[in-house]
Amino acid sequence: MDEQPTPAPVIEPGYTFGTVTDKISSIVLTRPTSNGWFLGFGVAFLVTMGLLYAIGYLFLKGVGIWGVNIPVGWGFAIVNFVWWIGIGHAGTLISAILLLLRQSWRNSINRFAEAMTLFAVACAGMFPVLHLGRPWLAYWLFPYPNTMNVWPPLVLSVHTVVSFDFAIGQVPGWHTTIFPPYFVAGAIYSGFAMVLMLAIPIRKFYGLEDFITERHLNNSAKVMLATGLIVAYGYGIEAFMGWYGGNRYDAFLLWNRLHGPYSFFYYMLLLCNIGIPQVLWIKRLRTSPFWLFLISGVVLVGMWLERFIIVVVSLQRDFLTSSWGMYYPTRWDWMTFIGTIGFFLACMFLFLRVLPMISIFEMRTLLPEAEVKE
Amino acid sequence: MSALLWKPEDLLAPPIVKVYQRRFLIAGVVASVIVIIGGFFQPRVFFRGYLISFMDWLGVALGSMVILMLRHLTKGGWGMIIRRIQGAAMRTIPLMTVFFIPLIFGARYLYIWTQPDKVSDPHLRKHLEEVSSYLSLKGFVLRALVYFAIWNLLSYLLTKWSKEQDTPPVRDNSQRFKVLSGPGIILYGFTISFAAIDWVMSLDPSWFSTIYPLIILIGEVLSAFCFAIVVERVLFNYRPMSELLKPEYVHDHGKFMLTFIMVWAYFSFSQWLIIWAGDLPEEISFYLRRINGGWGWVAIALVLFHFAMPFILLLSRPFKRDITRLVWLAVWMLFMRYVDLFWLAEANFSETFTVTWADIAVPIAMGCLWLAYFCRNLSSMPLVPAYDSFASEVLEPAHEHSV
Repeated sequence: MDEQPTPAPVIEPGYTFGTVTDKISSIVLTRPTSNGWFLGFGVAFLVTMGLLYAIGYLFLKGVGIWGVNIPVGWGFAIVNFVWWIGIGHAGTLISAILLLLRQSWRNSINRFAEAMTLFAVACAGMFPVLHLGRPWLAYWLFPYPNTMNVWPPLVLSVHTVVSFDFAIGQVPGWHTTIFPPYFVAGAIYSGFAMVLMLAIPIRKFYGLEDFITERHLNNSAKVMLATGLIVAYGYGIEAFMGWYGGNRYDAFLLWNRLHGPYSFFYYMLLLCNIGIPQVLWIKRLRTSPFWLFLISGVVLVGMWLERFIIVVVSLQRDFLTSSWGMYYPTRWDWMTFIGTIGFFLACMFLFLRVLPMISIFEMRTLLPEAEVKE
Repeated sequence: MSALLWKPEDLLAPPIVKVYQRRFLIAGVVASVIVIIGGFFQPRVFFRGYLISFMDWLGVALGSMVILMLRHLTKGGWGMIIRRIQGAAMRTIPLMTVFFIPLIFGARYLYIWTQPDKVSDPHLRKHLEEVSSYLSLKGFVLRALVYFAIWNLLSYLLTKWSKEQDTPPVRDNSQRFKVLSGPGIILYGFTISFAAIDWVMSLDPSWFSTIYPLIILIGEVLSAFCFAIVVERVLFNYRPMSELLKPEYVHDHGKFMLTFIMVWAYFSFSQWLIIWAGDLPEEISFYLRRINGGWGWVAIALVLFHFAMPFILLLSRPFKRDITRLVWLAVWMLFMRYVDLFWLAEANFSETFTVTWADIAVPIAMGCLWLAYFCRNLSSMPLVPAYDSFASEVLEPAHEHSV
């Protein structure tokens, strides 16, 4: 009865206030910048330059350089926007919700998850402006006066509103009531995948295994497993209602996803988002940095594909067969998308170099010394 | 393991529970006789009330099971203190299984899809043919068998392992609980979704909404939490609960209540906004039905008293920490849960706002029987498993309770 399986600690034993401070601050203050950092930052910076080039050309020529056209008027820009916003959500969850739930394991990953959120949102924020065609009129995006009193409740939750952007339309595959919770779950899913993809190499290169422990990997993997299942529930109920509801356009959408020209991506999506992540039921994989890194990558690909399927496959073949069409991203689409990844990584590299990546104060509260005796 | 802080026999439910059990049983039997007689004369009306009542009490039982499984996964004193209350509510699932049987015989009074020949609308008729492999009485019964088999099995295992922790030699089952609870919650989410479609959404087989099962699901969890708060308040007048229930736990319970109320509102609002904005004939019919003919007042009452009022009250920290005040909101929310189900189901049958005798009498009759069974379950096991290694947090006297 005494042998409770004790969970791995959130901070390895043997640390004091002083050593915690030294360990975290030395990365920024005393350690010389490594060659690896210069290499990583250099590559990310070059890719960012590619992004600037793509944007410059876009402003010169207009959105015609992209693959968007009628009927698929929303292409990579919206796919990437939703993907990046979703990734940003893990920061919100770790920073606020896990704090409210008194999950002390969040303390060591909180700071860089917040940084990650900031950079991901910066990447996301570019796309609405870029896809305008006339970016000098970007201020037109600001909310116009309150129509039908819908604004106040809408500001409640970011990703819910993103899902409303789709769901209040009538396009099959967009107009479905499950979208709000399903988008939020998907956002947290991809966000945690990104947190892990960053945390796993960072803890290794900077020797922070004592602070970002097995427990963090395990818990993050569990959050991924749970949110991934909610996403799977969304796919399932949507497919069921496509059949049960008897709406022929919904039924066709399901057919088009399974057998249409983009069906390969739909199967890949099912594999990446539902199939492969089920291995996270195995504890050994949840605590293995190597496997977890790979699975997180798979989830990020899967979640990007999900947005691609939602945006492109729904628009590609809607109500009128005469206006069906295909969507092919151009090299500028790819350059912009990959460019934002470069921008994101460049920002992360700078963050790691100039700011303490773990909150020293919050880490100290985890030490036995910090407990106040009554 | 330190010495036992409490002896298991001191942790038993107070004798008053037995008294309640007898009273509920007598009231339940009398009320049942009356409603059954009424049911013979007006079966159509009877089964409408019966379905709403069934969904309402089933929600308390299943919701309790979910919260119990959540507690097994997350631990925490808030869950230990109500663990056995929820266990007792969960163990009414066999009773709910029995209560389902009349619905099989009443299906033809409730569900238009049981008699597709009588449907005059050609579109609906064609649609019913297309989905007849799902919406048929046979499928209805077979699926219900699967749902109840899963729920009873989960309840059986959770109870069995919990019982093992009451008598020495005690084995530590927390790992087993954990292993079952993860998949258990997934199974619950899956089964209740289809149960919600089968039993409530299919009342109007031409209408569908992908978030609808989740609205039923979160309603069940909310019902169960409110019910636990009411029971802990009643027990708070007696030992051992009077010594164990600390304001921190009540505070946590209030926070959970607030969370579930917000999630309910979030799901309900999402469904409304998306359907309202889409304004498609086959979808908006659901809300047109529920905002016209007097039903709109019920809808407004739900917004105000199932969300706004409890939301504002629960923002207050002192309110959440005071069981004597929180309990009244919990009682109110249990009533509002019923109103929500009533609004969802009854509006299918009547275009104008109608409350039948069965809508009032059947929930009371079924509720009294349910509560009698609950009281029986509650007094059969100690209120806290004294040997559980996590129970010490709850069983320690307040002044030693640090952090």
